[in-house]
Amino acid sequence: MSSSTELLTKPNNPKKVVSYALILLTFLVALWLSTQSEGPSKFPKVVTDEFKFTAWVNDGESYLKKNYRWITKIIANYIKEGYFFLEDFFLDSPWILIAAIMILPCLIAGGLRLGLYACFVIYFWGAVGMWDESLQTVALMGLSVLLCVFFGVTLGVLCSQSDRFENFMKPILDTMQVMPAFVYLFPALFFFGIGGAPAILATMIYAMPPIIRLTNTGIRQVSKESIESATSFGSSKLQLLFKIKIPLSLPSIMMGVNQVIMMALALVVLACFIGAEGIGGQVWLAIRNLDVGWAMEGGLCILFMAIMFDRFSLAFSKEPETLPLDVQKFYLLPQSWEKYQVARIIEKPLSLLSYFTDLICTKITNLIAYIFALVVSLINKSSALDVGDFISKKYYLIPSLIILFLISFIDSTFFEFGTFPKEWKLSLRQPIANGVESLTVNESFIAFTKGLRGFVYLKLLKPLDTFLTHIPWWYTMGIFVVIGYFTVGLRFAFITFLLLLFIGACGIWTQSMVTLSSVLVSVALCFALGVPLGIIASYNERFRNIQNVVLDAMQTLPYFCYLIPVLMFFGGGIVSAVLATVVYSIPPIIRLTSLGLTQVSGSYSEVSRSFGGTLMQTLKKVKFPLAVPSLVIGFNQTVIMAFAMQIVTPLIGGKGLGLEVFNGLARSDTGRGLAAGIGIVLLAIIIDRISLAWTRKQRLALGLSKN
Amino acid sequence: MKLTKRISALILSFVLILGGLTQANAAKRLTAAVADWTGGEISCQVAVTMLEEELGYKIKRVVFPSGTGLWEAIAAGEIDFACESWPSYAEADSVMMNEDLIYEGEVVGTYNGDGSIDLLGTVGVIGMSDYYIPRYAAESLGIKSWKDLNKHKDKFATIETGSKGRLIACPVAGWNCHDQKRLDLLGIDFQADELGTEAAAVAEAVAAYKRKEPFLLYLWEPHWFFGAYDMVGVGLPEHKVCDPDTFTEAGNWKDCGTKGWPATGWAKDYTMNYGNPATFAKPEHAKAKEFFELMSFQNADQAVMLVEVKQKNRDLKEVVKEWKDANPDKWKSWIPK
Repeated sequence: MSSSTELLTKPNNPKKVVSYALILLTFLVALWLSTQSEGPSKFPKVVTDEFKFTAWVNDGESYLKKNYRWITKIIANYIKEGYFFLEDFFLDSPWILIAAIMILPCLIAGGLRLGLYACFVIYFWGAVGMWDESLQTVALMGLSVLLCVFFGVTLGVLCSQSDRFENFMKPILDTMQVMPAFVYLFPALFFFGIGGAPAILATMIYAMPPIIRLTNTGIRQVSKESIESATSFGSSKLQLLFKIKIPLSLPSIMMGVNQVIMMALALVVLACFIGAEGIGGQVWLAIRNLDVGWAMEGGLCILFMAIMFDRFSLAFSKEPETLPLDVQKFYLLPQSWEKYQVARIIEKPLSLLSYFTDLICTKITNLIAYIFALVVSLINKSSALDVGDFISKKYYLIPSLIILFLISFIDSTFFEFGTFPKEWKLSLRQPIANGVESLTVNESFIAFTKGLRGFVYLKLLKPLDTFLTHIPWWYTMGIFVVIGYFTVGLRFAFITFLLLLFIGACGIWTQSMVTLSSVLVSVALCFALGVPLGIIASYNERFRNIQNVVLDAMQTLPYFCYLIPVLMFFGGGIVSAVLATVVYSIPPIIRLTSLGLTQVSGSYSEVSRSFGGTLMQTLKKVKFPLAVPSLVIGFNQTVIMAFAMQIVTPLIGGKGLGLEVFNGLARSDTGRGLAAGIGIVLLAIIIDRISLAWTRKQRLALGLSKN
Repeated sequence: MKLTKRISALILSFVLILGGLTQANAAKRLTAAVADWTGGEISCQVAVTMLEEELGYKIKRVVFPSGTGLWEAIAAGEIDFACESWPSYAEADSVMMNEDLIYEGEVVGTYNGDGSIDLLGTVGVIGMSDYYIPRYAAESLGIKSWKDLNKHKDKFATIETGSKGRLIACPVAGWNCHDQKRLDLLGIDFQADELGTEAAAVAEAVAAYKRKEPFLLYLWEPHWFFGAYDMVGVGLPEHKVCDPDTFTEAGNWKDCGTKGWPATGWAKDYTMNYGNPATFAKPEHAKAKEFFELMSFQNADQAVMLVEVKQKNRDLKEVVKEWKDANPDKWKSWIPK
């Protein structure tokens, strides 16, 4: 009430007062209605009985299974064969060969630094005892990326050639990106079987959009001049495409490959839920064993792997920097340390080494080129030159092939390398487990967690839960439709109505309200914690840098890594589910708060300061309002992530739609699982659209964007 | 030059990956579902180790949530076999199996289903489930059986359950424990909280035990928890089936009051391995089928390994391997000649 009286004293915005009063009134009516009802609000039985979505899906599924399963089976079999082949190769080959296959490309593309990093990653996989699992993940990811790149580039090129096709693809790509992967992960299971094949196909759905988009824009952005000069030389349309447009858009395509790799990695880990093997499965086992250390080891394997692939693919899309001639090139230390004498001395042997390696590689390659040319020249003189030329250009490829060949030769004739040596073991499990154990028995810490648990449950979750489930469904629906109408428009209001009607008619209204309340509480907590952290980061650069590293790591770790510590400290249950959601979905809000505040151009705050505004005043009156769009985007992303997490939280006692998905799966009731999965997507879409539209309005009001 | 360098690295990474050097033994490949509780995991690992090391199989281990979904996946041939199914928990067994369950030559169960699942044989482990409370709570509160629970329900209440007591219930929906139904039928004023995974339920129980709080926990034997903490069962009424058995998914879970399941405790569970009939009918898998018929893994052995794995935090595969090396007399008879 105090906020509304404060608003009343401001005479200049009567419209705002009316709308605030209306919101308050709506809320009070809802509160009254919710106290009136006896139990949770239910959709009319007539509707839920008539709308047998679950049964229809199950019928449809069995029809498809009966009649079309052979097609999907064939596809799945091809993919499975490919995956088994790769996996066998990885697991049965001598470990040094596999290590060399990973390290050499890194060394060639990213130089000594990346090469050494790759060595460390490989060592880590083996040392924590996840050699096989890591390689399985790599195989799964590698195959998915290969297929994604192939189909993605093809589709991207098609999009760039035809506007009509581009317009057709756009909504499909949007849907592919918004839909939480879990929703199609399970149906994929029923058509493509268990393990590698459905995992790879689901990964393709999830990870393909960026490469299609980037290929398309890359080709469309090729400069007019280059196209004109090519056409003036008389190239045909196909020549133009393959000789000019695609090579020129290669950096953009490589950027897409990079994103595909990162997204594929994120999903491949999740695929353990449909029986795919790899690190994801290990992390899940670790959770079930309450072994934080084990889960962290798995998480770090993924994290390091992700960084390695990220840097490797970035090294391709980046142009090598050229240094002035008088500057010594640094191979290991940062180039900026060039001014220090010590650093130059340390680097000296490295540059010598690099010089000699280069020399040896060129010599060997030239020698082989010469031999080949000689052999070919016996048959045909003119092509011999070409062959020689071709080979002598492969400075790095040929020596690497020789190394790999040598390794397999030694392995098969002299000495078997076998699998990764057990003696090189490194275990983080015990120290981490001890740390967690000491916290679990620490009385004041447990008192704190108990207090927090009580607060979150009694003060936030329970009231909101009862409130949302007890408001009559038609009232909640009406509110959503009205909000949709005012923020987006009539059409969206209508769509919102239909979507909510679907949720209600499927008979999952109560569960979806439970999910909504969990998400809202999680997001509120994210806000309460994330915004202050973001503000501190916007003022202190060092803090920001540290925070960025932590947030990067948090976002790359597989998202059920967080479940265990939460479980240990808070026990199972709905509160733990909320806290795990908070940990997972807080990064965007922190990032975008600090981004929004730092981006507010200096001049605004200077003007405010020159008028005598204090730090707090500047923050509250100038910076915050201007940073609102950025904040809302953060809010938006946090909400989407919180929704995505709802599918995992049933593992530690979460309730609502996520649990429905699990129940559907456990009872082999696809319709039930699918309805709940779609429910999550629909709620996420509604909130996403509303908050995006609201941002757009804010930006317009602030004059930050044109349309 | 730079472009060549890049392309060469790309080609190198892809060509080599695809240029395999291996020979796969496709014929002797089986896919196994790893059970989602530790005891089941151990039984499974024992079977897998034997098949791999003694019969030359290559087994793919798949993590898959238990429940009807798993049974259907096996019937469809996605997974070849799964281990340690507990008959009282499986809803699908009576529909999908068509064989007698035989334990040490004695028929302990009969199935008249459609035969889409092959009963491979008993594991040897016999399971028992009950609701348990810690001994300190049983003694200080004087709880002797489940009938005393209502008197002390406020001691078992938590912030989540309000005035009712709390049962840390059977965690996984697919296990079909019907805890809330049982509590209601027996008139125990407790709320059954499903926590989603065994880990979540046990984490809660461990924390409560350390704080010496009373708690009621659904659990089964053999379980490592009993090795570490002193628990007593509340002795639910002895297992009895409704006649006719209407309490099924097909019968819309129509209960018959306090006359039978689920108003009683669980039956003694002669755990079994089960698989895809087509897979095990193949001549190349005859040895594997015979192995499953012979397998007889004992509760005591599983209990020892449970302690090793759960309390000493050791690697499951290592523990099983060690047991195998130390006790050849126990498993030699399972291996078909």
